[in-house]
Amino acid sequence: MAMNLRTVDQEGSACLRLRVFCLKAGRLSKIRRPHQSGRGVRVDNLGQTMKKIVGIGIAAGVLVAPMHLWAQGVANCPNPIPLALTVPLTSGIALLGVQARNGVEDAIDQINAAGGIGGKKLKLSVEDATASATTALNSLNRLMGGDPVVVFSSMISPHIFTQAEVVKRDGVPFMFTGTNAQLAHLGIPWFFRMHVHDGQLADLVPRYVVETMKMKKPAIIAVSDDYGLGASKEMQKTFESLGVKLVALESYGASDKDMSAQLTNIKKAGADVILVWGRPGDVTLVLKQRKQLGIDIPVVGNSSVVSTPALNNLTAEEADGALAIGGMIPQVSQDPVAQDFVKRVTDKYRVPPDNFAVAYRDATYMVKAAIEKVGCDRKAVRDELAKTKDFKGLLITYKADSYGDLAHTLGVYRNKGKSPQLVETIKERGF
Amino acid sequence: MQLLQLVINGLAMGAIYALVALGLLQIFNAVRIVNFGQGQLLMVGAFLGLSTIVQAGLPMWLAYPVTLAAMAVIGVVFMLVAYYPVRGKPYYVLILTTIAMGIVLENLALIIWGPLPQAVPSPFGSAQWQFGGVTVSLHVLFVFAVTAVMLLGQWWFFNRTTYGRMMQATAQDMEMARLVGVRVRYTIAGAFALAAVFAGAGGLLVAPMFLAEPSMGGSLGLKAYVVSVIGGFGSLQGAVIAGLLLGVVETLAAGYISSTYRDAYAFIIMITMLFVMPRGLFGEKISERV
Repeated sequence: MAMNLRTVDQEGSACLRLRVFCLKAGRLSKIRRPHQSGRGVRVDNLGQTMKKIVGIGIAAGVLVAPMHLWAQGVANCPNPIPLALTVPLTSGIALLGVQARNGVEDAIDQINAAGGIGGKKLKLSVEDATASATTALNSLNRLMGGDPVVVFSSMISPHIFTQAEVVKRDGVPFMFTGTNAQLAHLGIPWFFRMHVHDGQLADLVPRYVVETMKMKKPAIIAVSDDYGLGASKEMQKTFESLGVKLVALESYGASDKDMSAQLTNIKKAGADVILVWGRPGDVTLVLKQRKQLGIDIPVVGNSSVVSTPALNNLTAEEADGALAIGGMIPQVSQDPVAQDFVKRVTDKYRVPPDNFAVAYRDATYMVKAAIEKVGCDRKAVRDELAKTKDFKGLLITYKADSYGDLAHTLGVYRNKGKSPQLVETIKERGF
Repeated sequence: MQLLQLVINGLAMGAIYALVALGLLQIFNAVRIVNFGQGQLLMVGAFLGLSTIVQAGLPMWLAYPVTLAAMAVIGVVFMLVAYYPVRGKPYYVLILTTIAMGIVLENLALIIWGPLPQAVPSPFGSAQWQFGGVTVSLHVLFVFAVTAVMLLGQWWFFNRTTYGRMMQATAQDMEMARLVGVRVRYTIAGAFALAAVFAGAGGLLVAPMFLAEPSMGGSLGLKAYVVSVIGGFGSLQGAVIAGLLLGVVETLAAGYISSTYRDAYAFIIMITMLFVMPRGLFGEKISERV
């Protein structure tokens, strides 16, 4: 009896201190046993006390259970939680990488300012991938030394191709925006792409041009790198499948400044629409020189056509009427959260955010949600990201397909003077 | 009409190549080194134009001289950092330091002005002439005029002024020049300052056409080198003629053959030139010293 009392007393007080633990450890039966036996007043008093304790414990347990599970998830995380980013921050494509960095950094600042994840702050390690695939590979190797839970990588597809083996070897959730459609077919389960890719664009853009705009003589001018040539090749195939023949297929070097020869060829070929695929700087020059050469046919391009760098450097006449189809840009959104994002990022970094900044911002919040749920085990985070369904980002909702592609919505924008306006959104077929 | 339009566009591009090449030759003719950071100096000139005209709101008649004066100072700093500490070292060391300075300048621009491409206004706005389906912008004509003035100015400077002759003497034999009383250090500093001024002028002219961005100097600097090789290293008129020629050939080839290999044409011409005429179009005969 004494032993029972002592046991009850010891167990009871232990459970007062560690109520949740007691519930979890299944010690409830030990506490109840003396009360259920009904032996003696002292025991009954103690039993009553224990009843209250257990009742409070159960109630608190029910209330605290979700928090407990959450705390358990984050419990396996180091403090701070290490994340890594490798994007081009110098070289001719620095603007793209800067957008990505700004998106991730801003999201991390916001998350940390709100208390982090379960009280643990996020810490971002950044490496410059430059424009070189070799440097991108080396930068990823360096970052892996910091044991990051997730790596955010580049929008330059050759970077991702060279980094693929390291991702496979080290097994780390890898979020990127490289648009080469083939990346998804490398069969790497750690890959998650946050941006629409060439495969989607190649299918949707020619269809929009032919079926919605009713154009019959399209011409393409694209930057002659993996991005531009990849997209133009895929679009060419879709045009052919639609029974429409390209009247001109032109390209220019990434550092070229004079595209007048290519535009003169397009003019001579009698095109009724120009599809332009490049980076904001060179797309600006194409739009400028097209006007200077008196080419007054519709232009359809990627998001660069409505990017802030392009619109800042074009006159209203040069920009007016140009259509953009691609990733969603935040400037036209009426949502206060998006407007706040645009203002905050522009004030902080002096670079207005674009579609890439939005994608990387959303990727960071997606990682936060996954860590909150399953902690910092990379495999668990990967599995959680692969289950993504209806994740609400800043502008679109994400859903993971079997290839790890998360974005399936494109925006169609038209410049009215120098102001882009959302015409409509297009969803990838099947989403 | 298409041919005429392409030729005019090619000449415009060629004038810019020539302009950058003139800056390159300014240093080469003074100290016999090839400055592979010349393109990046042009980029700095473009951004200083942005700062003075757009950000500070100075009128162009004031912004242009302020930019060029700032470029002269930058040229001297360039010399003190990239040339002076390694003077007398093997040729490749000097070349490597100029490449390194180019990288430093590009990254400094990225930090100071950011990665966004930005337009710098032209004194002529977007005015252009149209005749028979051919379009010529007034700014392009301005570029032709400035290139011509710079060519004549540089020729006059090197051949008709004492300071220019001192620079040539320094380039030919630094020790001998010092012995005859040339203040070599100041002469070299002057050459770098002038080369930076040329680059600054190029930047002010190029930015309204092609936007100012940190990476804009790399390919222009390389093309200037190609132009100098084709024209004959050291020859001012060679640089201008080769520049115009390269611009036209590149544009015609892009228009009639393929635009994908536009950059390749320049290097194919340069390599061919090195096989056929190693001294270039106007290269000086090198007499054997006895």
